[in-house]
Parts: sequence; structure tokens; C-alpha cells
Amino acid sequence: MSKYIVKRLLYMIPVLLGVAFLVFTILSLTPGDPGSIILGITAKKEDIAALNTQFGYDQPFFVRFFNYVGDIIFHFDLGTSYATRQPVMDSILARFPNTLLLAVLSMCVSAILGISMGIFSAVRQYSVMDHVCIVVALVFASMPGFWLGLMMLILFSLKLGLLPSFGADSLRHFILPALTLSLPSAAGLLRLTRASMLETVRQEYIRTARAKGASNKRVIWRHALRNALLPVVTTLGSGFGASLGGAIIAETVFAMPGMGTLMTTAIRQKDVPMVMGATLFLAVLFGLVILAVDIMYAFIDPRIKAKYQNGGKGRE
Amino acid sequence: MDERIKDEILKIEDLSIQYKTDLETVYAVNGISFSLKQGETMGLVGETGAGKTTTALAVLGLLAERTAKVTSGRVLFEGQDVCKMSEHELQRLRGEKISMIFQDPMTALNPVLTVGEQIGEALYLHNEQELSKKEIDRKVEETLEMVGIPRERKSEYPYQFSGGMRQRVVIAIALVCNPKLLIADEPTTALDVTIQAQILTMICDLQRKYGTSVIMITHDLGVVAETCDKVGIMYAGEIVEYGTLADIFTGDCHHPYTEGLFGSIPSLTEDARRLHPIEGLMPDPTELPEGCKFAPRCTKCMEICKTCQPGVWEKNGHQIQCHRFTENGEVKR
Amino acid sequence: MNKSRKHAQLSEFWRRYKKNKTAVMGLILLVIIVGMALFADLIVPYEKCIEQVGADRLQGPSMAHFFGTDEFGRDLFARVVHGSRYSLLIGLATSLMALAIGAVLGASAGYFGGVVDNVISRIIDVFMCVPPVLLSLAVVAALGTNLRNLIIAITVSCIPGNVRLIRSVVLTTAEQDYVEAAKSYGTSNARIIFRYVLPNAMGPIIVNTTMSISTMMLSAAGLSFIGMGIQPPSPEWGALLSNAQTYLFVAPYMLLFPGIFILLSSMAFNLVGDGLTDALDPKLKD
Repeated sequence: MSKYIVKRLLYMIPVLLGVAFLVFTILSLTPGDPGSIILGITAKKEDIAALNTQFGYDQPFFVRFFNYVGDIIFHFDLGTSYATRQPVMDSILARFPNTLLLAVLSMCVSAILGISMGIFSAVRQYSVMDHVCIVVALVFASMPGFWLGLMMLILFSLKLGLLPSFGADSLRHFILPALTLSLPSAAGLLRLTRASMLETVRQEYIRTARAKGASNKRVIWRHALRNALLPVVTTLGSGFGASLGGAIIAETVFAMPGMGTLMTTAIRQKDVPMVMGATLFLAVLFGLVILAVDIMYAFIDPRIKAKYQNGGKGRE
Repeated sequence: MDERIKDEILKIEDLSIQYKTDLETVYAVNGISFSLKQGETMGLVGETGAGKTTTALAVLGLLAERTAKVTSGRVLFEGQDVCKMSEHELQRLRGEKISMIFQDPMTALNPVLTVGEQIGEALYLHNEQELSKKEIDRKVEETLEMVGIPRERKSEYPYQFSGGMRQRVVIAIALVCNPKLLIADEPTTALDVTIQAQILTMICDLQRKYGTSVIMITHDLGVVAETCDKVGIMYAGEIVEYGTLADIFTGDCHHPYTEGLFGSIPSLTEDARRLHPIEGLMPDPTELPEGCKFAPRCTKCMEICKTCQPGVWEKNGHQIQCHRFTENGEVKR
Repeated sequence: MNKSRKHAQLSEFWRRYKKNKTAVMGLILLVIIVGMALFADLIVPYEKCIEQVGADRLQGPSMAHFFGTDEFGRDLFARVVHGSRYSLLIGLATSLMALAIGAVLGASAGYFGGVVDNVISRIIDVFMCVPPVLLSLAVVAALGTNLRNLIIAITVSCIPGNVRLIRSVVLTTAEQDYVEAAKSYGTSNARIIFRYVLPNAMGPIIVNTTMSISTMMLSAAGLSFIGMGIQPPSPEWGALLSNAQTYLFVAPYMLLFPGIFILLSSMAFNLVGDGLTDALDPKLKD
């Protein structure tokens, strides 16, 4: 197993380099050079040229890319912000904990809520509660998260005054944003878990278990659940990506100082290094989460585990 | 209670089962009766969709709850009606007294549990002797070796086994509690021919050793000839012919469907594996014909067959459900 | 496949679809929303969207203004009705473009395997590492904010998932005997892919595309909401909500209607997608 993990970690290196290249290329498409972005196009030509040299913009594309990656690897440096002239990494590290906390919180809430309600709903298929679950899940899954956030903000902050409406000073500040993010994704997970569970209980091996004399409870918990959760687990990784993306938008709703507000401000200011750094930072994090989920998957599904142990290729 | 009834382990009387959905009603089993004694093997032969598996599931009380309905009849196991049992009573019956071998070993095993866990589960669920974990473990190993799998493989997962080996595991699950009745639902259909013989021999050996009664569901007459004492030929949810192995394979009187199955009636010594084609298809089980269900395909069909359901002709336990036979066993002309 | 058989298949499909009440509801909802977008000018003239009535600023819903008015006295009903065009256009355009690109890449990867598959899959691995919203944001940051760039940004974020899905579906379909048979009598690769493999792999792809329209509409609204999509004064629903956020205290009704319409249209596509899943895959129905 450890051999597999090492293998996957090694495979992550070219992938992450690829991600860096992708992000670098996309953002290099931004029109304008650092000098004219910072000083404005009306500034003196020499000043602009001097700044461009300072940012290394006079170098060819690939040289700039290798310098960028080299700085990240050897100096843990994501470049200098055009707007603040401070290291990008400092701004990111100051904001990142909020976003991470928000994403992890909402991930946990939605996984617990979505999976448990999905099982509940499947076990009671066709009951009133099942129908309620389906309808509620459908509505939440179709809802724009930020709108849900605004509605909850009106209700809980403005009307009831129960929770703060902006900032990130205490855990209480995270309740509304986390709910905003987790309710729609919990709804998605509910639908998926329910469908997967219903598909699983139709399998032949469930009939084998019942023919052995296993009770309905035992059939569900011991035989169906683990198999039903396999497809759910695979979506948890991309679910975290959705959480990160959702966090970016939710931060705007709740005026929370995080990566999202950092990025939107940077995009408005054409602060290319900041956008690039933030995107790359989150992408690397996401890549590691996907890896973790893949490895976790191997632990629940013996077939995959064996494939790995035999030195086979991972994700096929 | 006389001796004959006493060792009658299973008795099915006039059993009818329908599957109902909002769109249609499938008449899966239509008034079948048969009985099985201790240690006997009965073959249930017929095409796909004849109602064999439905009958088997009814014996285990495993019919789909929402759609399947037992509309008439009784399934008496050791004198108790399975159809009237509570879920809890059924659970005690399944696996311990009646167990089942399923058709497709590739899908019948839970992919995320080791074979040892899956075999041991039946023991754990019916642990009346209060075996310890270790004793259960030992019994699992014994059972594995009994079906010809090395005991070390108990901690392996189903995907690590070939089809034939998996079927052995399925059989081990079915036999680990020494059931009184074993239902084998086409246990060899999904397997290679060479493996088929091994598996059949194994089932027969184990059956003799433990005196288990077996219902062998199959569409392979060769399998029937090798393993069964009694045979029921099923067509469109009815048992159209029922008798001892000799009645079916050598007797003079046969249902036209049975004749069709054999092509011509061979003797036991001849090779009877080949099925000659019968013209046409089995009727749609949602719209069964009015008279004899086989009439549309029958080469000896008469006017009465198209309108009137045939009664059962019987001679020394050999039963045929066809208009061509009269009360005294003569062929009508 | 001749015409009558295709027809029979379609009517059988429709018979199954029609049985599903919620799916039919979704279809009706979808028809209403599409109708609203198509006939927006008949429902309420576009002038009402831009007409600023000073006296009517920030009015709540009334008979004169069903959904109230905004800070410039513009009629929100008219703006929401005309805004439907943006959402539907973006949802459809991005999903179809992502489908087309995904089909070409995914089908080639799944069908040819080997080097082609390896190259495409590794590139997709890289793209999959960037969360979709982030990818869209990066593209918008580079290209600037307008309708065209928003469509490009969202399409790009949707392609990797599509390639993955179509690759795996094609992989299973390409193993079928009829594909082997077609190969054996010398059918060209392109013909096999488009005549044999893709049509038979269509079920999951259709369902996925329908569902993705809903997702795409939601992300477009989200991006517009944070100011990275369609800019005011365009009456796009996300942009309307972004604007409404400013007047949260004085005019909360401004939030209500654009949100409800996003919800309803996204729900319509989800319901239809669910219905298609059931109708295309009868074994799932008990």
C-alpha cells in the first residue's frame, strides 16, 4: 500500500507542474505588461520598461515560467503583487486559513447530512419522509448557493439578529457561510447516496445475504452500505473542489476576508501575480485532496486495493 | 400423522404468484403443486421465464415485497406455511433450514467482504450452539475444504476467485449450516462445462452425506438425469408434467411440451443433452392464452385446448396436465 | 436503423417518460421558461427594462410593477423576464460546446486508447486539479468580463468532466461485439465512432448534458454575482442579485424574484434530467 502512495505522490509532481503551466499560460493571456498595469499607460516609457525588467517581464515566456516555478520550489515564493508590491505568498497565507476552515466545515456538514439523509431516504423508499427528502433535496440542489446565503443572511442576521452577517472573527461567523455552502452540496450527496443505495440493494449479493437469514437491518448496514458508498466517496474529492469554489463566492456574500475576496479584488486590479498565485495555491491543495480521497477509496474497496498492491496503475 | 407425511419436508399446494406493477400483471406461477421428501432431489425444468426462480424465492419467502403477491396456495415447510410466517420467523428459516445457491456466482458474492466473512455470517446468524468466534472460524475452514478450497483462502475477496471457485464459495455459504432443504437455482449455467460436472458431483455428494433435500432448478435435462429423483416440467408458470426420473425419461405418456424438450423420448442410457427446438416462443406472461398455455406451440393441439384449461391426469404419481389424456391413462384420439 | 423503428423507440421512450409525474412537471416548467425567454418581447417590451422612472425608485411589488422596481426605478419584472435569455443562452451554449469538445476528446481517448488516451487523460488530470469555479475565474481574469468570455470560461471548466465521462462510456461501448463486427468489415474509425459508438453511448451523455445545463446556469449566476460575469446594467439574474445585495436592508424583495427564477430553471433541467435517466434506463424502475 505504501508503495502505491509513493507512486501516486510521484505522479502528482508532473500533474502539479502541469497545473502550474496551465494557470501560468491562462493568466499570461492577460493583456498588458506589469509596467503599464501598475503605472498606467500614460506613464513614462523608461519607467514602464524599468518595472517590466524588475518583474522579469522582458524575458521570453518559457524563461518566465521556469523562473516562476523555480521560485515556488526553492523559495516558496509566488512572486510580488502588482497592487501592494508585497509577496503574494504573505497575502495568501493571511487569508487562506479562513477559506480552508470554511471549505472543510461545509464539506463535513454536507457529507454527514447528505449521506445520512440519503441512506435514511433509501431505507424508507416510498414513505412520506422519503418523498419529503427528495423534494427538499431537489430544491436545495437547484438553488444558487449565494442566493441561499443572502436569504439566510436576511433571516438570521437582519430579522432575527441571531448570527453575524459579515467578517471572520469567531467560529460563529462561519455558521452562515458554512450552511450556505453545505446545504446545496448535501442535497446533491443525498440524491447520489439514495440512488446508489437503491441500486445496491437490487444486487444479487444482497439476495444472497437475505437468503442466509440476515435481517433487513443487517443487510443494509453490513452488506449494502459499504458498496453503496463507493461511488459516493469518489465524488467527495470533487465535492471539496466545489466547496472551495463555493467558498470563493460565499465570501463575497458574507464579506469574509478569504481567498475568494482576495481573488476578486486582484482580478479587478489586474493584479496578475496575485490571481496566479491564489489559483495555483488552491489547485495544488485540491490536487492533494483528490489524492487523499483516491487513497481512502483504495481502503474501502478491496478490488482497488489489490490492484494497487500488485503495482497496477491507479485511476483507470 | 403418518410416516409418509412426516418425512415430507416440503409441500407446495396450488401455489400462484403474480407480479403487479401499475402497468401490468405478470402471471409468474399459476397453481403448481408438488412435494419433496427428506433426502430427495427434485428437478424443476423449464425455459427461462417459466416461473422456476419465482417458485424458489417463494419457498424462501424472498419474493419482492412490493410487487410480488402470492394469490393462492400454500408452501408448507415441515408442516408450516412459509407464506404466513413473520419476517422474523423467515429469517430463522433462511440459511439455517432452507438455503439457496444462486445462478450467477459472479454477482452473488459481496465484493467488499472476504469469503470467510460471508460463509461465517450464516453460522453467526444461526448460532444456536453458541459457537465462539474461533469455533465459527474453524467451521468456516472445514466448509471451505469440504467444497475444495484451501482454508488459507478464507481471507481473500471474491474478485480473487474464478467463476467455478466462486460457485464453490456460494455452495459453502448455502451448506455451512447443514440445511434440510437446498435450492440450487441453475447452479452450473454460468460455468464452463468442465467445471459444471465438478460442481454437480459435489452437490450430489454433499447431499448424500447430509441427507439434504434438493430442488434443482435447471433447463439442462442432462443435469436432471444425473442428479434428480423426481422431475417437474414447468411451462408458463405451470407444472405440465411431474413424476419420477423414470416416468419422465422412460415412460410412455408425456406432455407434448416434454416431448418437445426431448425431441423424441430417449432412454436413460442415451445422451439426452440436446434440446430440439420447439416452434414459437413462450407466451407473454402478462397475457396468457385462455386454454392450455402450451396450445399455441403444440403440434398436437386440439380445439378444446384453445378454450379450456386442461385437468391433471395421474397414474402412480406421474402427473400430466393435458387434454390428450383421459381418466384411465389412455391416449385420446 | 429504419425510420419506423426509430419512431417506435421514441414513442416507447415517451411512454415511459410520461409515466413519471415529476419529470412531466419538469418538462412543463422547462417549456414555460424557454417560452418566457423566446417571447420575452411579447410578454413585456424591452424598453421597460431600461426605462428609469424617478418617482418609482425601490418600490415593492405592486400591480404596476409585479416584482417591484430597482434603485433607478426600472421594472424588475421586465428585467427578470428578459434576464432569462442570458441564463438559458449561457446554460445551453456552454453545455453544448463542452459536449462537442468533450465528445471529440473523450471518444478519441476511449476508442483509440494507447498514446492518444494517455496524452488526453494526462492533460485532463491536470485540468481536473483546478476546481471548476477557480478555472472559470482564471479565464475571466485573463480575458476580461463579458458574455463571450463568460461562456468560454464556463465551457472550459466543464470540459474535463465531460471528457472523463464520455471516455469511460465509450470505453465500455467500444468493447461490444457490434463494434468489433463493424471493425471486421473495414468501417472507418470516424464512422464507427459517430455511427456505432456514440449513439449507443448516448443515454448517460444526454442525461449528463441536461444536468450540466443546470450546473452551468448556477455557476454563470455565481460568477456574475461576484462581478466576474455579465456586468450591470444587463439584466442577467446573477447581476440583478449582485445589485440587490446593496439594497438588502431597504429592498429585500429585489433578491427574491431573480433567485426564484434561477432556482426554477435549474430545477426544471434537473427534473428533466432525472426523468430522462429513468426513461432511458428501464432497469432502474421496479
